[in-house]
Amino acid sequence: MIKIENLEKVYKTEEVETTALNGINLHVAAGEFVSIMGPSGCGKSTLLNVMGLLDKPESGSYKFIDTELLTLNDRERSNFRKRNMGFVFQNFNLIDELTVFENIELPLIYNKVPAGERKKLVNEIIERMNIVNRSGHFPQQLSGGQQQRVAVARALVTKPKLVLADEPTGNLDSSHGNEVMELLCELNETGTTIVMVTHSSHDASFSNRIINLKDGHVISEKINKSRNEELI
Amino acid sequence: MFKLNLKIALRNLWRNKGIAAINIGGLAIALAAFILVTLYFTYETSFDKENPNYENIYVVGITYPEFKTNYVAAPFAEAIRQNFPEVVSAGVIKDSAFELTIKKGKNTLFTKKILQVSYDAAKILNIQPANGLIKPAGETERLTYLSTESMKTLFPNKQDDEPEMVGFGASTSGISGVINGSIKNNLHSNFTFDGVSIGNELGKNDHYNMNDYTIYLQVKPATDVENLEQKITGLYRTELLKDKSEEKSIKEIKGISTFLDPLANQHLKPKAGNDAPYKILIAISVLGVLILVIACINFTNLSIAQAGKRAKEVGIKKVMGAYRFQLTKQFLVEILMQCLVAIILALIIAELALPRFNSLFQVHLSIWDTANGLFWKIPLILVLITFCAGIYPAIVLSGFKPSLVLKGNFSTSKQSYWLRNALLVFQFSMAVIFIIGLFIINSQLKYMRSEDLGFNVNQVVYVKNLTMFNNPAKFGSIDFEPVRQKMLKVPGIKSATVATFIPGGQNGINSYAANGIKANIDFVNVEFDYFETLDIKLKEGRFFSNKFKTDTINSAIVNESAVAKYGIKNPIGKIIRGCDIDYKIVGVIKDFKTQGFENAIQPTIYTIKDPCGSFKTEILLKIEQNKMADVLATLKAQWPEINKLDGEDFRYVFLDELYGKLFKKQEQLESVFFTAAVLTIFIALLGLYAFAKYITNGRLKEIAVRKILGATDVQLLKLINSSFFYLVVVANIVSWPIAYVVTNMWLKTFAYRIDFPVLPFVTTTLITILLTIITVSIQAKKAVNANPVDALKYE
Repeated sequence: MIKIENLEKVYKTEEVETTALNGINLHVAAGEFVSIMGPSGCGKSTLLNVMGLLDKPESGSYKFIDTELLTLNDRERSNFRKRNMGFVFQNFNLIDELTVFENIELPLIYNKVPAGERKKLVNEIIERMNIVNRSGHFPQQLSGGQQQRVAVARALVTKPKLVLADEPTGNLDSSHGNEVMELLCELNETGTTIVMVTHSSHDASFSNRIINLKDGHVISEKINKSRNEELI
Repeated sequence: MFKLNLKIALRNLWRNKGIAAINIGGLAIALAAFILVTLYFTYETSFDKENPNYENIYVVGITYPEFKTNYVAAPFAEAIRQNFPEVVSAGVIKDSAFELTIKKGKNTLFTKKILQVSYDAAKILNIQPANGLIKPAGETERLTYLSTESMKTLFPNKQDDEPEMVGFGASTSGISGVINGSIKNNLHSNFTFDGVSIGNELGKNDHYNMNDYTIYLQVKPATDVENLEQKITGLYRTELLKDKSEEKSIKEIKGISTFLDPLANQHLKPKAGNDAPYKILIAISVLGVLILVIACINFTNLSIAQAGKRAKEVGIKKVMGAYRFQLTKQFLVEILMQCLVAIILALIIAELALPRFNSLFQVHLSIWDTANGLFWKIPLILVLITFCAGIYPAIVLSGFKPSLVLKGNFSTSKQSYWLRNALLVFQFSMAVIFIIGLFIINSQLKYMRSEDLGFNVNQVVYVKNLTMFNNPAKFGSIDFEPVRQKMLKVPGIKSATVATFIPGGQNGINSYAANGIKANIDFVNVEFDYFETLDIKLKEGRFFSNKFKTDTINSAIVNESAVAKYGIKNPIGKIIRGCDIDYKIVGVIKDFKTQGFENAIQPTIYTIKDPCGSFKTEILLKIEQNKMADVLATLKAQWPEINKLDGEDFRYVFLDELYGKLFKKQEQLESVFFTAAVLTIFIALLGLYAFAKYITNGRLKEIAVRKILGATDVQLLKLINSSFFYLVVVANIVSWPIAYVVTNMWLKTFAYRIDFPVLPFVTTTLITILLTIITVSIQAKKAVNANPVDALKYE
């Protein structure tokens, strides 16, 4: 589904030039759950941002089911993103002024889903995420785990083809972290492709494939046999 | 989506109540000031505008070598109408020369101003009695109408508009006449009155040396006014040559020209008058706009400062697929709503401030008057300030990159940092200019109140009187001496005199020659004790005295300026010729400021006898300090016996009050500057307060680290204050030259003024620095007192 070739990204400040991505090649098949690992500053978050069309690389190619995405303009990128992608962040990034329900509703509004259907879809996902009694609460009134469930719910409500997760358990304790990982696995089992950036090998063990980055290069790729066997 | 954005906006405002209140409140106060200024500007620039011929009406004035005047001989109006086809109509108007007492039964009315209007002038100027404008019959009939208020005083129970017989002057005078009905006195017009007397033709048989009417012309639309002006000058010179009474040489006549002054100019900047009201109006309007600009800058600055709080929202929305345009629109709508709230608040504040404003400017403005055009101006202002205050923050906010802000790497760019500093400097510069201005206005007014005027208006009562005290008698006037003796018998009256004009009013102007020089100078016809009553200082010679028989025949006293004007050396005993009389100068008085501080003291001649002069009617009495009340009571009781011809009504004004009116415009200006200075510094400080909060919040980590490394509270406060300190110093330096130029320009409008002071500049700098340090420190203190671990943990 995703075909990335020779991706390069350089960050420039007044004095320093940092190469974040240095000729990355990466393929992700539909329905796959891929973890990206590596030390701090290896370029994994940059790669995720480029995949999520939040950042533009200097050169290379990024094809999503045969559509080249790097040539799109800002508007087209926005449109593509809202139709095909969902995001989960380490720090949840919920809008503080909106309730749980309203936060989850937001991507549907941008996708111009009619109000009646929006309500149905949000209620469905709230039930699935087990946060029904929290739907009128504001983010600050929730625990970290609950906030991340809302963030996952928000990422899933549009039924995206691809979910990008940036250290989704980074701000959670281990039990809440596990809950979130299990949620992602369930999601993956229903056919959603997931790309996750993580520091934790425990979290990575939930995925089908683990890609290791260092200094902007892919240095190794490992098939997670245990998970694949589990699935079989 | 709009509903959701609205929710975000409202919840955001609620969460940042403090800043929102500062932001909206500051804007509302400035808008209120702006609305008041707009109302005032509209009012002041629309006098007589409802006249359908407004654009085509002109005053005919005369330019003499020394001055300009609107007073012209009445027959010239008819001459213009006959000679120039582009003149549709020409009419004349004259103010009443004195106060008139009108009586009906027990009711007495004192009129200050009965306008004498020719029928044509009434038509041109839309002066319409309640029962319609009627053409008086023949040459002599006068139709007299009283203003609605005057009618109420005289006929409290009158329901109809039928003519009424009334008595004029003292009840013993036996003079009666007819009041033909009522007429509305429009306060929003150049022609205000207690009553109007309309005649078919006024002053028809006057000579050209009797310049006591004002001529109004109505010209055809699209008339070449400049060309007409030249033709009228030509006509005027021809008429002067024809007129036997005006014995002017051809050379003199060539130095005289006429001008046409549009009706639109009359209220604020008549050519034959001063344009101070216009300048003040412009100054006030500029102030209004500046205050609004400062508030908009605040709004912009605070909105950008708040941007950090909205960055995450922008990031998330962009991730969800929002376009930048949508976000820009969202923020603009948000700012529009805040501006809307500010405008509603502003209207409330303006409504509350209007009574004070109206009394200060002596106007009757109302927000609810549709003629002021607020109903279309308010939406326009709303859109304009939303755009000015909101466009930049909206663009900055919607421009955030989601990949950065969602990681928490939020910082507004260096460019906006410079812009914000520049805006802050601008705000403070304005505040500095206003404060310096206020100080300087204050010093000048203090100087005006304390400076020796050269005469003393205290304890002097000006008695209004209808009796003419010219000697030798003309037009039924009588000798003043018997009346004076009667008044001096009242215990407490130190001296009594009568003159043609009172200090603070306008003097007469006539031509006098001395030392081979002929010039138009001021004249005042007086009686004995005039100089003693006003405590005017003698420079050389003597005052008038009844010991010298010649004083009532051909003695003159001149002031220092007159001596200088004619260049007379050893003036005592020298001759000054005017009105066919060779006056002998018996005394020279020191200059005294009869016209306040704005106008230079005019060369003036004082004489007792003057066939070309005016009527001596203005009685001045010097009264002992603790006997004022007794004296006034006695005069009131005995007035009919003392001054039989004036009748039973004793009317008086304290001269110091009258003279004080000359200061009124400047005192208005002081009030306006005081308000402007307080508003600008207040709004600038509000902005600074919020801005300091933003800056300190951005430096929380730095403060924590410094604290851990051992910085003391004082060191930290100094650190945070230093950048603001420099900004305020820069603002002061930038505004000094501007403040110097502006205040110096204002001071130069005074003939008598203070030396340019330096102290206001130093004081203002100290005040602004002090206020800045206090404001910033209040904010910084919170950050400095916070536990450093909290700031670092947050990171």
